[in-house]
Amino acid sequence: MAIGTLAPPLDVPAGPARLAERSRIWRKFVRNPAAIAGALVLLAVLGAAIFAPYVAPHEPTRQSLIRRFTPPVWAEGGKATYLLGTDQVGRDILSRMIHGARVSLIVGIFAVLVSLLVGVTLGLLSGFLQGRVDTVIMTVVDVTLSFPQLLLALAFVAALGPSLLTIIIVLGLTGWERYTRVVRAEVLALREKDFVEAARAIGASPARTLLRHLLPNTFSSIIVMSTLQVAQAILQEAALSFLGVGTGSAYPTWGHMIALGRDFVSVAWWFPTFPGLAILLTVLAINLVGDRLRDALDPRVT
Amino acid sequence: MKRCAPLAAALVLALSALAAAPGPVSAQAKDTLTVALVSHAPTLDPHMHFERVGILVNINMFDSLLHRNTKLEFEPSLATSWKPLSDTQWEFKIRKGVRFHNGDVMTPADVKYSFDRVIDQTKKSPQYGNVRAIKEVKVIDADTVHLITDKPFPLLLERLVFFPIVPKKHIESVGDQAFGTSSPVGTGPWKFVEWKRDQVIRLEAFDQHWRGKPAFKNLNFRNVPEVATQVAEIKTGGVDIIRNVSADIVPELKTHPLAYISSTPILRVHYVGLDMRTAPFDKKAARQAANYAVDKPTVIQKLMAGLGTQVATTVQPPAFGFDAEIKPYPFDQKKAKELLAQAGFPNGVDITLHSASVADRPSFEAVSQMLTEVGIRTTPRMWDPGPAWNKFFQAEGKATHGWYGTWGNYSVFDADAVLHPLYHTEPGGWVGKWYARVEGLDKLIDEARSSVDQPKRKRLYAQIQQMIREEAPTIFLYTQYDTLGISKKVQYAARPDEWLWLYDAKPAAR
Amino acid sequence: MLTVLVRRVARLLVVLVGVSLVTFAILQASGDPVALMMPEAPESDRAVLRQAMGFNDPLPVQFARFVGNIARGDFGQSFFHREPALPLVLARLPTTVLLTLLAMAVSLAIALPIGIVSAIRRNSVFDHTATLVVFLGTSMPVFWTGIMLILLFAVQLRVLPVSGWETWAALVLPAATLATFSTPLLLRIVRSSMLEVINLDYVRTARAKGVSEWFVICRHALTNAALPLVTVAGLQFGLLLGGAVITETVFAVPGVGRLIVGAIRQLDFPIVQAGVFLLALIVVLVNFTVDMLYIYLNPQIRVR
Repeated sequence: MAIGTLAPPLDVPAGPARLAERSRIWRKFVRNPAAIAGALVLLAVLGAAIFAPYVAPHEPTRQSLIRRFTPPVWAEGGKATYLLGTDQVGRDILSRMIHGARVSLIVGIFAVLVSLLVGVTLGLLSGFLQGRVDTVIMTVVDVTLSFPQLLLALAFVAALGPSLLTIIIVLGLTGWERYTRVVRAEVLALREKDFVEAARAIGASPARTLLRHLLPNTFSSIIVMSTLQVAQAILQEAALSFLGVGTGSAYPTWGHMIALGRDFVSVAWWFPTFPGLAILLTVLAINLVGDRLRDALDPRVT
Repeated sequence: MKRCAPLAAALVLALSALAAAPGPVSAQAKDTLTVALVSHAPTLDPHMHFERVGILVNINMFDSLLHRNTKLEFEPSLATSWKPLSDTQWEFKIRKGVRFHNGDVMTPADVKYSFDRVIDQTKKSPQYGNVRAIKEVKVIDADTVHLITDKPFPLLLERLVFFPIVPKKHIESVGDQAFGTSSPVGTGPWKFVEWKRDQVIRLEAFDQHWRGKPAFKNLNFRNVPEVATQVAEIKTGGVDIIRNVSADIVPELKTHPLAYISSTPILRVHYVGLDMRTAPFDKKAARQAANYAVDKPTVIQKLMAGLGTQVATTVQPPAFGFDAEIKPYPFDQKKAKELLAQAGFPNGVDITLHSASVADRPSFEAVSQMLTEVGIRTTPRMWDPGPAWNKFFQAEGKATHGWYGTWGNYSVFDADAVLHPLYHTEPGGWVGKWYARVEGLDKLIDEARSSVDQPKRKRLYAQIQQMIREEAPTIFLYTQYDTLGISKKVQYAARPDEWLWLYDAKPAAR
Repeated sequence: MLTVLVRRVARLLVVLVGVSLVTFAILQASGDPVALMMPEAPESDRAVLRQAMGFNDPLPVQFARFVGNIARGDFGQSFFHREPALPLVLARLPTTVLLTLLAMAVSLAIALPIGIVSAIRRNSVFDHTATLVVFLGTSMPVFWTGIMLILLFAVQLRVLPVSGWETWAALVLPAATLATFSTPLLLRIVRSSMLEVINLDYVRTARAKGVSEWFVICRHALTNAALPLVTVAGLQFGLLLGGAVITETVFAVPGVGRLIVGAIRQLDFPIVQAGVFLLALIVVLVNFTVDMLYIYLNPQIRVR
């Protein structure tokens, strides 16, 4: 069955076998041109995000009312200094996008980290301890899944006021259940395996078993899932911006830029379109890479 | 094969749904006028809501005692004449022969009933505050009523321009609930047909309206929450009128083959309220510096396409009491920096400004930038208009060091309608009780609002405007225009009171 | 089978109570609805209203009252509409459900044929292009897709109305927009389910016996896809409801998502609670049905 199941866990081998394993995964990954393209795009985005202040041609908050709605350089009226044009108060779109990469990625990555921490922990506990703990945790998962997630996020942010931290936590709390389910399934599958029995036999404490032996086997699923979740988080943040609840910071995320620019699409098409393209390419790249990563890590697929 | 069938059926269903799409969009019927609104009020009962979008619908279904024409002069509506009998008592002669949509004749009993309904606090009308000063309404004879106020109430006539008269017998028989949702009956030019929640309010011309039939047979108020969608609708002929067209879209619609723009100055004034309780704006010099720092003409030209007027204080030019002698702060960065140093901040100061005015975000950011350039380093913070903002800003008064806001006076053309809410501290106007602390201002405001002696009031307001210009409790910016996008099939002009009085709308001559 | 059913139903109820608790908690934390209802009234007036509406009672009491009322179908009066909240929500629920179902139908209508062909012509240009195009849909924020579609089909080409919910034509763009959200996953499932089966022995045998290709595909391959499709469709339903909120705003569709968004802004507790509860109820019921269907169709997986 294809959905939800990722690679069956690798009994992580040691030493040279591990290296060979790793290079095999790498080779499988590298074979696909789409995945390479995707990876390059992501590197570019990451680079922009990290080196934003050095890469951006202008100060992203610098306004110039005289230069508002300047078209991109290749269109009529465009200026070379503003490669992708300016927004409604004359700020350079390219620079804002470069800094926006930073905020978008921060939101995406940290939200996923929150999801991951909460989800994986609960998944491990649920799968390992079973019984009542399992039932409680899975019920909480069900409750979270039944809840219309966007509305939950909206309600939280509307209640607490806009801030980067609030958005990160809210997005993090609306995506954790996937991790829990997957990790739990893997732990359940692994529990009965020999090496776990062996560990228990030599007296390893439950915590140690959990962390040392079971957790590493879930890594491949977690990695793949995380890459896809980052894309989801970026899109969800865009949705929240559209509904009016952004990060409230001076540097807008890409999603927020689209939301801000959507009313002007008929007079300044570049304003929402370029951030839109940025999200499109980044999410596409993430999906391609994540897809290929999943195939690469799955020993069944050649 | 049987497992295949349901899937095939789903396919067929999906495809046929798509195939059911008709040909190109058909044009609007000629006798129908469609207006796009971003939302609908929660009820059609004109006394039980406080929303501009609700008022716009109500005025086309209900009449009030007075009406205002496009020159902003009072005109008789359901009252044919009026005169003050004393400082606290007014007499109104009620028009005869006016019918409600259901055929009942309008009488002074309906007038009394309409007022009682709002004055009665158990009904919990949100408009109670507007008419709180009216103590009692007395029916004198078949065409006369007396309005008695507890104190001299100079805003009385203003408030009566929007105070719809509702049918007593009808409401008593169907109940308040039904009156507001399925059976609203008034004396206005259109009568109710149906209300599809969140979709459209349909009205039909009332043949026996006392002014005569309106030019359009059908009037629809469609609910279109997205601005981009509204603009797309007017460009494709899906709606005939859209409101609040942003200055940037104006050039596009001006030259569009199917639409045109109508724009006129209105009361809505933009300002930055300053928190006078804390530094730096507890010092007058700092507040004045902020006023010198903003280049208002450039903002008006560049961000509002010229559709704005700079103002000296928050009192607007069309409002009673406006003093044209008082000059606005000029743009002077040097002076701003000097004053800032005088106030004790030679190396500048860091502040935060808040705003929940989403449509005015560009102006907000531009103003913040201008302040930063003289040393008032501003961090602009945008809020979503909602519970968090209301609690923060209004319930708890935490919007330090200031906020960007707009105020429309609820279409009351009187200086009190902006001064009291913004600056009155004890017992306090809308936000005045938190942020403004101008010595002696309360007393003057109270004096001006408890007299009906208009010349005296004018003098007081001149005095008040001098005072606030000097004390600068806010950064004074500009008033805006009301800009409508209108289909070329319709002839209508924007009004200075932001009303959509569609009785004046006519099909364009071909 | 019966014990499983009973257990699932019990689980369902617990989940619903959990949902109510969460909604209740958030709204309590967000502020004072009385201040919103009477922004200009003096504090004394507000205190009276607060007392009358029961906001001064301890929280567990308020929650207990809430749950008891729900059981009787009473979600209270909307603060702003001054009418009972439940009918207001119920009136708009069918619209949202219809939009979601339409979107699912469009998704399937696209995913099935393309998925089948992609599997048959695996790794061909068609396969890669189809995957790419469909992925594009899921890589853009839903509201942006919606606005782009309006600009293309309504403003440029003028073949569809811009917004509204009055004619059959008006349903197309909103459903299509929402469908871009769920199509990729369904496509992937159809494709991989097909791939799993298409070259298996019994299929090859059938082919060898001279059975027509379509029959083979329908009978065997799709059967294999049906199960995961159904499961995922159930899961997707919840996500689509979220996307519906945005689509409803862009296209002026009078659905429950828009109503709830507005109610959150205005702290209109009864509507938010009623709306969220009903949406959760639908999702839970859909998942429950899918679960039961899954167990029924797949007897090996009668879980402990």
